[in-house]
Amino acid sequence: MRVATDIGGTFTDLVAVDDYGKITVGKSDTTPGNFEKGIFNVIEKAGIDFKEIEIFFHGTTVVINSLTEKKGVKTGLITTKGFRDVLEIGRGNRPDLFNVKYKKPQSIVERHLRKEISERLNYKGEVISELKLNEVDDIIEYFKECEVEAIAVSLLHSYKNDKHEKEVVSYIKEKYPEFSVTASSELSKEWREYERTSTAVFNAYVKPIANEYLTNLEKHLMEKSNCKRNYIMQSNGGTSTFEIAKESPINMVESGPVAGIFGASILGGLLREENLIVLDIGGTTAKCSLVENGEVNISTNYHMEKTEQFAGYPLKVPVVDIIEIGNGGGSIAWIDDSGSVKVGPKSAGADPGPIAYGRNGENPTTTDANVLLGRLSLENFDTSISLDEIRKQFDESLGNELNIKPVDLAMGIIKIANSNMLNALKLISVRKGYDPRDFTLVAIGGGGPMHSQALARELGIKKVIIPSTSAVFASWGMLMSDIRHDYSQTLLVPVEGLDYTGLNSSYREMVNNAADTLGTEGVQPENIVITKRLDMRYEGQEHTVEIPVPFDLINEQNIEDVIENFHENHNRLYSYTLPENGVEIVNIKIQALGKLDKPTLVEAEVEEGEPLKAERKVYFEESGWIDLSVFDKDKLSPGEKVNGPAIIEEKSSSVILHDGDTLIKDKYGNLVITIGGN
Amino acid sequence: MKSYQTNPFTYEVIKDALIATGEEMFIALAKTSMSPIVYEVLDYACGLTNNKGELVTQGNGVTGFIGMLSFMVKDTIEKHGDSIEEGDIYIINDPYKGGGSHLNDVGLVMPVFYEGELISFVANKAHWTDVGGKDPGSMSTNSTEIFQEGLQFTCLKLFSKNEVNEPLLKFIEANVRYPKISIGDLWAQVAALRTGEKRLKELCDKYDKEVILESVERFLDQGETLSLKEINNLPKGTFELSDLIDDDGITDDQINIQIKITITDDEFICDFTGTDPQVNGPINSSYTGLVSSVRTIFLAITNPAQDINDGAFRPLKVIAEKGSIVNTSSPAPTSMYWESMLYGNELIWKVLAPYLPEKLTAGHLMSVCTVIMGGKHPDKEGDFLIVEPSVGGWGAADNQDGDTGQFCILDGETFNVPVEIAETTYGVIIDEYSMRTDGAGAGKHRGGPGVIRSYRALTDNQFFTASYGHHKLNVWGANGGMDGSNNEFLFEKADGTIEGPFGKYNQYKLNKGDKVILRTATGGGYGDPKERSKKDIERDILNEYITVEQAYEFYGYKG
Repeated sequence: MRVATDIGGTFTDLVAVDDYGKITVGKSDTTPGNFEKGIFNVIEKAGIDFKEIEIFFHGTTVVINSLTEKKGVKTGLITTKGFRDVLEIGRGNRPDLFNVKYKKPQSIVERHLRKEISERLNYKGEVISELKLNEVDDIIEYFKECEVEAIAVSLLHSYKNDKHEKEVVSYIKEKYPEFSVTASSELSKEWREYERTSTAVFNAYVKPIANEYLTNLEKHLMEKSNCKRNYIMQSNGGTSTFEIAKESPINMVESGPVAGIFGASILGGLLREENLIVLDIGGTTAKCSLVENGEVNISTNYHMEKTEQFAGYPLKVPVVDIIEIGNGGGSIAWIDDSGSVKVGPKSAGADPGPIAYGRNGENPTTTDANVLLGRLSLENFDTSISLDEIRKQFDESLGNELNIKPVDLAMGIIKIANSNMLNALKLISVRKGYDPRDFTLVAIGGGGPMHSQALARELGIKKVIIPSTSAVFASWGMLMSDIRHDYSQTLLVPVEGLDYTGLNSSYREMVNNAADTLGTEGVQPENIVITKRLDMRYEGQEHTVEIPVPFDLINEQNIEDVIENFHENHNRLYSYTLPENGVEIVNIKIQALGKLDKPTLVEAEVEEGEPLKAERKVYFEESGWIDLSVFDKDKLSPGEKVNGPAIIEEKSSSVILHDGDTLIKDKYGNLVITIGGN
Repeated sequence: MKSYQTNPFTYEVIKDALIATGEEMFIALAKTSMSPIVYEVLDYACGLTNNKGELVTQGNGVTGFIGMLSFMVKDTIEKHGDSIEEGDIYIINDPYKGGGSHLNDVGLVMPVFYEGELISFVANKAHWTDVGGKDPGSMSTNSTEIFQEGLQFTCLKLFSKNEVNEPLLKFIEANVRYPKISIGDLWAQVAALRTGEKRLKELCDKYDKEVILESVERFLDQGETLSLKEINNLPKGTFELSDLIDDDGITDDQINIQIKITITDDEFICDFTGTDPQVNGPINSSYTGLVSSVRTIFLAITNPAQDINDGAFRPLKVIAEKGSIVNTSSPAPTSMYWESMLYGNELIWKVLAPYLPEKLTAGHLMSVCTVIMGGKHPDKEGDFLIVEPSVGGWGAADNQDGDTGQFCILDGETFNVPVEIAETTYGVIIDEYSMRTDGAGAGKHRGGPGVIRSYRALTDNQFFTASYGHHKLNVWGANGGMDGSNNEFLFEKADGTIEGPFGKYNQYKLNKGDKVILRTATGGGYGDPKERSKKDIERDILNEYITVEQAYEFYGYKG
């Protein structure tokens, strides 16, 4: 039995699969303050025997919560002489251009806890001033006085040469083992000292907390089960063992959201769909991401808490590229100062929730609009409110002011919500030079299937897939995951006159390092899969383009293919090439997978009974009110075709088929929709 | 209230698409640019206007261009009018007319036609690393005529019906110092314009052209409504202030600048009449530079978060005498124009701060603090060139201490160059990047510390030019808060001799081991320092923002 649990803000989800491929799902309340309780609750609720758990996967918000709530431990920083203020100066940018009261991100380590040490490397990584290790003692003495618990060490140019950082860290570990220590070069070997220092500091800040959490969870799990293979979901769409996660917990920062995106890439592989746009619509936000050739996109440009008005905190760890907007089922419609109608980012949340919940919600939300248009049925809500009462609330809140009937307001809300999501989907596709018509849309989350068909039509996408386990899809994704570690090293060398031996040996060092780590995680050499990539750019440019390197060794011949590929990708992204300009390699990167065996998939069971459950009136902008057939998803047989317009309902969601769309349920229970019409 | 044909939801969707177009053009330009001044400093802007040249939406990295694109387009219409054809692109950097600032800021303007009708213009303006002239980087603190500052493009046809004007291109190539970079940026600008044109046409395909045109006008009207609403909340009357600009870089004389603001129910008038005439040195500002500066603080006061278009500026009037330092005429040099331009917002900021504490802070570093430095890299071929602004301290406010290490108001989503990148790219080593804890800016809320950054030359014969305005006077405190400090730099030779501090210097020679130390101002304090809480003072001492002596002297702290 494999079990995956995912802790979300409201619910802790579970998906388990036994040796025969039978899937069990479960949901239980999240228990803040004592998360493992919620985990054990959901396992028990799902009727799973602890003794049968062989592999355990886990996604958690414990790291991001500690970070955003600033509830980490007291942290000190040791850095190069002359540079303790780098963390407070940051990059100097002010995204909120016209707000003179802008406040930049505040340093998590106060100035008096940022200590300097004598040492210096030059840009080539050569020592130009020796490290004075004896200065560490005074620093530690001060840290003890101030009750510091964790220390980050971040020295200039350590991405190029980590010697001094390592010396400081091992000195502290040996002499002062009571401290939890993080070196910046353990987490990132890319240049930019502020970003690397920020990453190290935040890792140090949450390390003791993540350690305690994982140690506890492991202990309690071991008491009840015999499970020795425990994995944590990381932000790169792969997992690691608990032991590795304890060293670099910052890699768990987006543990939850990425699992769904990764799951979509796996599902795509099973259905032979390699190019996907994934849309996940939840209660307060919509997230989207792009999967190309079966691979999720990873970058190290993540900024925690970044918004259009706030610079955010850089964390240079590999995170799946996700765009998230404040536009979910609970997003509230409102009128701004200029008289424009907006939807989101404010959300009615779970309490009071949308008007349709009948808990005194007063503001029209996207969910309410879907109810008034007949797309969602009030019968599927645990509510006593009537449609008339919702209409009345629409009039009182916005309709009267705008002089618009409830049904038109509802349609308008859907239009604006769709427009918001469309812009986000364009950001990850059209704006990056991808043609959405070459992609299949995967819709997950409660709201995904309700909007996905309209959005697909707008983008020219021909096929939409709604996974069978869409409500707990993130957990399903974890069950299918591998151990994964990403490595990157800034080199900055021109392609012309490239030192191939040097480049290949840098790669080899990285690969050996990865193999060592995977070895400690119990992965056999034959299960290790390494993929190489390069970040390249034209000389003088800043932004890089990531190019795959499908060769064991790079040589004078195959580098030509890599360069050619770079020109092509540059052209796709920016619509031109500069063939006469020099090309530089900025970073060399590898992705190291430790393959885990996967559960077998079995065909979905079909419930007895007539799938056609009702007819009801549904509103469309083009046709007005029309009578639609409503089908029960669980009673549809595999291969059975439904022609739009129609609605397919399941417990927590509705699939809207527009005129011309057709839907077929496949044998695994996934819904595959062909978008018709124009 | 006007009535509109398009339903409010469709309008909203179109408005979003227009804004997204501005942003997309903006991103396209940064990603393809060859010069750090564009991709790190974001010293450029992209936007689209209606067919009369009124700005509809603009993607900005800095605030400094907010008044320029529409003037560029209007000048293009005035000069070329009916002869404008589809596929034309005009090049323009004229500081005396047509949305110019200094010659480095090169603008491109392209008409957008739909079904044969001129419906809009797309335009952008980017800081080119070099446009020729007497000094590398085309900016100097001692030029006395525009002719020393590089090429002037007075709205010339760069493309004619999609055909590039090869002789003009060759001419530019031959007259700038880093043609690869400048021509590279030119192509990046062209690519961005074409992206904008494409998106606009797609919008017209999808909706009716008339719907788009109406939505554009409605968007402008909305901007106006919003500004009027905010002006209604401002104090009414006239407000007057004068101030002194350091000098023009040629003589040591301070320069008078003054303003009279009149706020009525529906107008916000800024009259700079009485300001000194233009000067010999390069700190003269174009009228459009002044307008950008005034607009920036106008937005800060009215509604910093609104979608910006020319409608929002309809109630704003900016008056300046032609031939004055803030409305300069030919052949006055303008390469360091921001040293006077910035006073356009500084005077309004300072005179209105007492009335609008919820919107305005005490004084900030008030200069771009530009550094231009070049020479040989010890290990690499070719010359390196640094062109960068510097970060400094911002003022405190009624509810907060000032920030440290931020660029001035004229910049924005501007990034400093990381030490690790600077040392790799340039022939220097940086010994220090730290906060200037000089104890200035004391107050109930404390000004943000300035910043110290040093460059030590690794090769002989490097040059250093900088303009650090607000050098002679300290930046101002508000509501009883103490003044901050000033901007300055000094040279520390390898043999230990010190020269400076200076506020401006043109082409100082640095040899191997010589060092320049840059110090930016600490921001002004807000409120009586005696009212600062003991806890905050002690925290400031602990963190070495102030010394115990300063705590006693400025805050009356006795332990």
